Amino acid sequence: MKVSSCMKSHVVSVHPTTTIREAATILVKKHIGLLPIVDDDDKPIGVVGMRDMLTLELPDFVSFLADVDFVHDFGAVEDTRPSAKTLNKAVKTLMKPAITVDDDCGLLRAYALMLQHNLHDMPVISKEGKLVGITSRVDIGVAILSIWPKAEK
Amino acid sequence: MTVVPAILAAIIFFGSLILIFSEKVHRSITAIAGAALMVSLGKFFGFYSEEAALDAVDFNTLGLLLGMMILVAMLEPTGFFQYLAVLAARSSKGKPGRLFILLCVITTILSMLLDNVTTVILIAPVTILICEIIGISALPFLVSEALLSNTGGVATLVGDPPNVLIGSAAGLSFNDFLIYSMPIVLVAWAGALFLLRYLFRKELSKRPRGVKAIMQLNPAETLNEPLVARRILIVLSGAVLFFFVHHALGVSPSLVALSAAAVALVWVKPDIQEVLKRIEWSVLIFFGALFVMVGGLEHAGVMESIVGVLERASAIPPILFGVGLIWVVAVLSAVVDNVPITIALIPVIQGLGESGMDITPLWWALAFGAGFGGSGTIIGSTANIIVATLSEKTRTPITSKIWNKRGLPVMLVTCAIATILYTIIYNWF
Repeated sequence: MKVSSCMKSHVVSVHPTTTIREAATILVKKHIGLLPIVDDDDKPIGVVGMRDMLTLELPDFVSFLADVDFVHDFGAVEDTRPSAKTLNKAVKTLMKPAITVDDDCGLLRAYALMLQHNLHDMPVISKEGKLVGITSRVDIGVAILSIWPKAEK
Repeated sequence: MTVVPAILAAIIFFGSLILIFSEKVHRSITAIAGAALMVSLGKFFGFYSEEAALDAVDFNTLGLLLGMMILVAMLEPTGFFQYLAVLAARSSKGKPGRLFILLCVITTILSMLLDNVTTVILIAPVTILICEIIGISALPFLVSEALLSNTGGVATLVGDPPNVLIGSAAGLSFNDFLIYSMPIVLVAWAGALFLLRYLFRKELSKRPRGVKAIMQLNPAETLNEPLVARRILIVLSGAVLFFFVHHALGVSPSLVALSAAAVALVWVKPDIQEVLKRIEWSVLIFFGALFVMVGGLEHAGVMESIVGVLERASAIPPILFGVGLIWVVAVLSAVVDNVPITIALIPVIQGLGESGMDITPLWWALAFGAGFGGSGTIIGSTANIIVATLSEKTRTPITSKIWNKRGLPVMLVTCAIATILYTIIYNWF
């Protein structure tokens, strides 16, 4: 089975000049966790994910500490909001390189890529490199598991 | 002295310094390549050999650094540094000004015993956490911790790598540093602390928000392995006691440090692979390779000619010589790593000593210049680079523009205080 059989083809994407505020609105409205960023030819040039957005609210200093189990209350961190200036910046300032798969990629290879790069969603591209869909771990997992009940008993 | 070896050796050494300064290649890689080139060419042109290169390595310095690194590598995972910072946070009751003083004092005391880089690596992350919880910018704290660990480290033999080098080369004991260096450093340190408190007055007068959350922190919970922490602290205190008497016992500081490391290893029996992973091998290799390179410079006669030039300048009063050394070394240390500068200047000072000059004051001038100079720029010391890198993952990254406004004044003030006290004490003795 190919990845094209288990992707969402109504994929929402943004241009690099979209503001962070607008990108956040789209994530909220569509209840999604990853936004591919495309150029004028609809080719993915990067992605911005929920996690990248949330570093504006919780900077990555937590990763410096072996554990934060001893902190029972995050105090002022809980109600620190990004400034208007930050929210009006272009989304490309938070952009991460896009890891994509071709639409004819096998399911297990796609799954392996997601494991390796610790991704939950992955943009799918056509032969020409254009964004044609987006797939997730759940989409791929469901597609794989759906064969099991039909397997020989 | 023949000219060709001297020119070759000088090109290799100063070429390596420039490469280290440019930060295009990791300094340890540059140093190894330079050392290998120095020995190979030295052998080919007959001015240096493998035996001479080994002789040039100061194993006392390497042993002392390795011993202290093993102790810190064992103390690090116990959470002891978080414990201290959380204790400070609670007793400050979340007041930024008070927290600032407490964290600065803790950092300074730690940096007198441990090397500055280690101190900053251990205290900075938990500082960021505490500032975030309180709701204030971590920037004043991070900048000050780096600056005051640079300053405080100058006070003791083991506080700063240049001191280890100088102590080993000049035969200065742990107590010599406490008597001659510590008083001057304490005054300079107090000056730096007041200056920083003043320069950051705006940031530190912000009203704290997460005071309740700070008071909920329980220091006991921050200790992952209280028993291990206690054992290592006992060994560390024992080592300090032996440092006080090492000279009287006729024992080198490196034997004290390595013995302490051995006692701690035997007592705690940690996973040795884990401990060794946390040792900063690149630092030890950097030192070793620099020793070999500077040994080549000496054997090629470069040091002799530098000493010769300086001797002709011996009409200059020795006190001006010392003061000049403080400032020249400080400016150099602000732009290049202070370790290669110290290693290179040691044989020059020794050469001046052989020609009859009283060099004891010059050793202290070298220590002050190398120690305080690193505060001047964001790349002046590894501790500065570390806090700047860590701050990139906070809301207020440290830029070199900010450093020039906060760090440079600290360098100037500490060097000025050192100059004044140096002059006064020099006239007394």
